[in-house]
Amino acid sequence: MIMRYGFFPGCSYKGAAGYKESTEAVCRELGIELAEIKDWNCCGATSYWSTQDLKSYVLPARTMALAEKQGFTEIANICNACYSTLRKALTRLDEDGELKEKVNLALHEEGLEFTGNLKIRHFMEILVNDFDADEIKKHVKTDLAEFVVAPYYGCQLNRPWGDIDDTINPVLMDRLIKALGAKPLTNYSAKTECCGAAHMVAHSDSCVVLNRRIVKDAVEKGADTICTLCPLCQFNVDASQAGNKSVNMPVIFFTQLMGLAFGLGKNDLMLNKLLTPFKMAV
Amino acid sequence: MTDNTTLKDRFFKKYHGEEIQKCIQCGTCSGSCPFAPYMDFGPRQLFAMAREADMDEVLNSNTMWFCVSCYNCVVKCPRDISITDHMYSLKKMAAKESVKPPAMLDLYRSFNSPVEKYGRLTDAAAMAEFGLRHPVAALKNMPLGVKLVLKKRLEIKPRPLDNLSGFIKVMEKAEEMENQETNGKLANMESTKQ
Ligand code: SF4
Ligand code: SF4
Ligand code: SF4
Ligand code: SF4
Repeated sequence: MIMRYGFFPGCSYKGAAGYKESTEAVCRELGIELAEIKDWNCCGATSYWSTQDLKSYVLPARTMALAEKQGFTEIANICNACYSTLRKALTRLDEDGELKEKVNLALHEEGLEFTGNLKIRHFMEILVNDFDADEIKKHVKTDLAEFVVAPYYGCQLNRPWGDIDDTINPVLMDRLIKALGAKPLTNYSAKTECCGAAHMVAHSDSCVVLNRRIVKDAVEKGADTICTLCPLCQFNVDASQAGNKSVNMPVIFFTQLMGLAFGLGKNDLMLNKLLTPFKMAV
Repeated sequence: MTDNTTLKDRFFKKYHGEEIQKCIQCGTCSGSCPFAPYMDFGPRQLFAMAREADMDEVLNSNTMWFCVSCYNCVVKCPRDISITDHMYSLKKMAAKESVKPPAMLDLYRSFNSPVEKYGRLTDAAAMAEFGLRHPVAALKNMPLGVKLVLKKRLEIKPRPLDNLSGFIKVMEKAEEMENQETNGKLANMESTKQ
């Protein structure tokens, strides 16, 4: 049976190192259809929350209204910021009828209506919660038993709600890593530490300090790679190593790890797009 | 700048800032904030000042501009205060009071402007906008940009929405309602004060 979800790729999906290619390949392998929400727009994220009262809700609401119109009841996200933005908007609009009315007044200009009858999900969480680990194991072709993976969740997944997992010590991705036959680094305490997000552009010095800690914790505890679930997390932790010759910690997406385990080809993984090179001796 | 009492009122009423009355000044937020070392005041102190209506100092500080929305403080706050949301509100208030625009405000504007134009963001568009405003910070990012181009990862061409005109109408309507609201509410608030 094919599992089908409405899909919100967000703006940074296409440019992310091999995220799109590996996600698509993994979906083919497992029989999942991520059906792109037609004409989705940018969710606005921190930038709009920080500058606009009403538009910060209108942006995520438009994409959610489109999803409803196109018959989806669940939206799969692959970016922590999109996930948290859509969830936040959904929760607030549900609590605040007056705000919802205003948002809908704006959406009516395009003939759209937001009701909020939707569930916002992260694709990684979908894989863990909607799929049987044994089902996933059946697709594993490469032995990753000696491969140690530091699960980097980033800060925004599941915050502030804390309903899909613990807010400080999440373990969802650890379970996925185990199902793939690899070793999750269980004492990776930097797993939810913030990478600095867009501050990397304006305040790179202070962000490099944060990222150094995220990388160092993985190095010192013996990880072979850091595994991420958000384009911006991946980008910052990867790019922050540039210019530091003493570290070389590859930062991959969970979908690339799945592809490695499933024995998928080079073009499905696109590991050559990473900034810190990935090599595996298996 | 608007006077302190009016600003405190606006923060407490329009932006639900009155929640910070619950703050017990434990300092957990400031202790868990990854950017506290760079802030003029940690969130705890900022809230103490806002409660004393020292809004001029609050809005001119760099504190909220360093907030990256990591929610580390929120998930630890013993009083369940939505600290991150108050940081958003204070950013919006500071921008309206035309404080000297911090770099982050310029970055947000550079991010928003392609979104308003095309409905989506390309990194190149945002970086170009930001680069015009902050050439030095942009230059620092140049080598990385070149690498991304070589790896075919930097999207240069904008990807406008199919129904761009519909999207723009939606955003214009939101803007219009926003302006009505601000003018209406503020006029109201100021007139009840006199
Ligand atoms: S998280 Fe950023 S890039 Fe992704 S859709 Fe939202 S705003 Fe656009
Ligand atoms: S770690 Fe960075 S990119 Fe990831 S969710 Fe947090 S701020 Fe966003
Ligand atoms: S953690 Fe909460 S209660 Fe403690 S100082 Fe910060 S805002 Fe106040
Ligand atoms: S949400 Fe903002 S204030 Fe709170 S810990 Fe993170 S950066 Fe600091």
